[in-house]
Amino acid sequence: MLSFIARRGLGMVLSTLLVVTITFVFMQLIPGDPASVLLGPNATPEQVANLKATWGLDRPLPVQFARYFANLFRGNLGESLFHRQPVLRMIGERAETSVLLGIMALLVVAGLGIPAGIIAAIRPNSWLDNLLLLVALAGASIPSFWLGLMLMVVFAGKLHLLPSSGFTSVIATGNLANLKSLILPAFSLGFVNAALVARTARSSMLDVLRADYITTAKAKGLSQPVVIVKHALRNAAIPITTVVSFTFASLVSGAVVTENVFALPGIGSLIVQSVLKRDYPVIQGIMLVVAVLYVLVNFFTDLTYAFLDPRIRYR
Amino acid sequence: MRLAKILLRRKTVLFALLVLGALLVVAAFSPLFVPYDPDALNLTDRLQPPNLTHPFGTDHFGRDILSRALVGTRITLLLGLSISAFALVFGVPIGVLSGYYDRVGMVVMRLVDTIMAFPAIILALALMAILGKPGVVNVIIAVGMVWAPRMVRVVYSSTLSLRENTYVEAARALGASSLRILLRHITINLLSPVIVQATFTFAFSIMEVAALNFLGVGIPPYVPSWGGMMNEGRTYIIRAPWIILFPGLLLAMSVLSFNLVGDALRDRLDPKLRNAV
Repeated sequence: MLSFIARRGLGMVLSTLLVVTITFVFMQLIPGDPASVLLGPNATPEQVANLKATWGLDRPLPVQFARYFANLFRGNLGESLFHRQPVLRMIGERAETSVLLGIMALLVVAGLGIPAGIIAAIRPNSWLDNLLLLVALAGASIPSFWLGLMLMVVFAGKLHLLPSSGFTSVIATGNLANLKSLILPAFSLGFVNAALVARTARSSMLDVLRADYITTAKAKGLSQPVVIVKHALRNAAIPITTVVSFTFASLVSGAVVTENVFALPGIGSLIVQSVLKRDYPVIQGIMLVVAVLYVLVNFFTDLTYAFLDPRIRYR
Repeated sequence: MRLAKILLRRKTVLFALLVLGALLVVAAFSPLFVPYDPDALNLTDRLQPPNLTHPFGTDHFGRDILSRALVGTRITLLLGLSISAFALVFGVPIGVLSGYYDRVGMVVMRLVDTIMAFPAIILALALMAILGKPGVVNVIIAVGMVWAPRMVRVVYSSTLSLRENTYVEAARALGASSLRILLRHITINLLSPVIVQATFTFAFSIMEVAALNFLGVGIPPYVPSWGGMMNEGRTYIIRAPWIILFPGLLLAMSVLSFNLVGDALRDRLDPKLRNAV
């Protein structure tokens, strides 16, 4: 197991370095030179030159890269052009909303997707299976922002059951009731992603249910619930767990738009505002944080996988 | 022909093909039969709920939602097609070369995996920020660059298994050049996975384009698009939900149809993948 962790760990470090390189290249791709873009059209040549010197933009690229890298190690992701605030602090301030939304959406994903997949697999090709598959496919085809808006019309506009937008920090106020604001966003985000999990849960359950030990278990006279839960589900759990964690990227993508729909003060709405304002350091910082998180999630998924199924370590 | 027969036998696929056919007709001929000028302002008729004269209702400028949604079909399909073409043109050659030559593959696949660490919409947003103004070409490049690496991946893994086939070995033994093997023996057999992936690319890319337009960073707002219409309708979401309802339904129906066709093609063309995600 240790050599497996070491190998995957090395891969993770390499991926992180590549992610850092790509985000550095991103800044180089900004049309024109960054200093004059950042200062705007009214800047004097001296101002531009000054800024370039302060930021080291007049140095050769390798030096700039080394500097960028060193800054990252100090937790310095640069400064927002509009808010004159450190990018890392801006991301940190908005992390709570995004993390809570992500966790709640993940609960919806697992809570809807896994049972639906199992039920479909128990009676393959029945009307229930077909119906669930069709719902799953429809779910994967509905834009989450549209679903969010429609839920908003019904539950906030007509029934007045849930708030339609905004979110106040739970940590700062200590008020758990604030989570109500995240129910509609989490559901619209989770429902769309549950589809993928349902399909994986179904196919891995189907594979397991065909195995000889299931036939044996049934032949022993065990009841169906015991066979399903004790024998099948435990073995089907591995691919399902992986897929749940693989929905990370898709959840982040969805969250960007969903946060925007529900006016949630999260990282997703921050990147959209920054794109509209061309606040490049913030865009760069968010790209970096999200991609590094993705690399970490993959790393831990691999470890979990190897932990659950020892055969994987030797592949 | 057999493929067509099998596809038509499934009711869901038949439904999907009908929807796609209708979309094509609408995209090609909509200017001939839309009931109203999609850009005509009519402030006396603003925010009308669906009725006989305006079956899908009107927006805050009194513009006819049905006409705008129909006209929006064309740009949706054009963008989906261009983005899939972009993914094909870059993804297939790069994927084939990476799969065939181990050294190329090692480098390229590392890069592809890294690009895929950036969630689709975040990458597309960042690219739109770099490319500058909202515009059709920029959207094609931004979303195309998100989907090309995914195409590279599919082509790469198919090439890896194809090159181990006995017929490739035989061709090499007969003295065929690498170029000949790549073109005559490998690329030709990539057709099925590539078609399937292109169908999914189409489905996902029109959804992503709609998301960009919805966020106001896609194509300019004066071009009627489903995502743009939904963006404009947000302010009136509680008073006039139909502004968002209908473009969203059209989008979901289109994506669903492409997904259904993609699933059916995958089942047919590559039975091994039937249970894969």
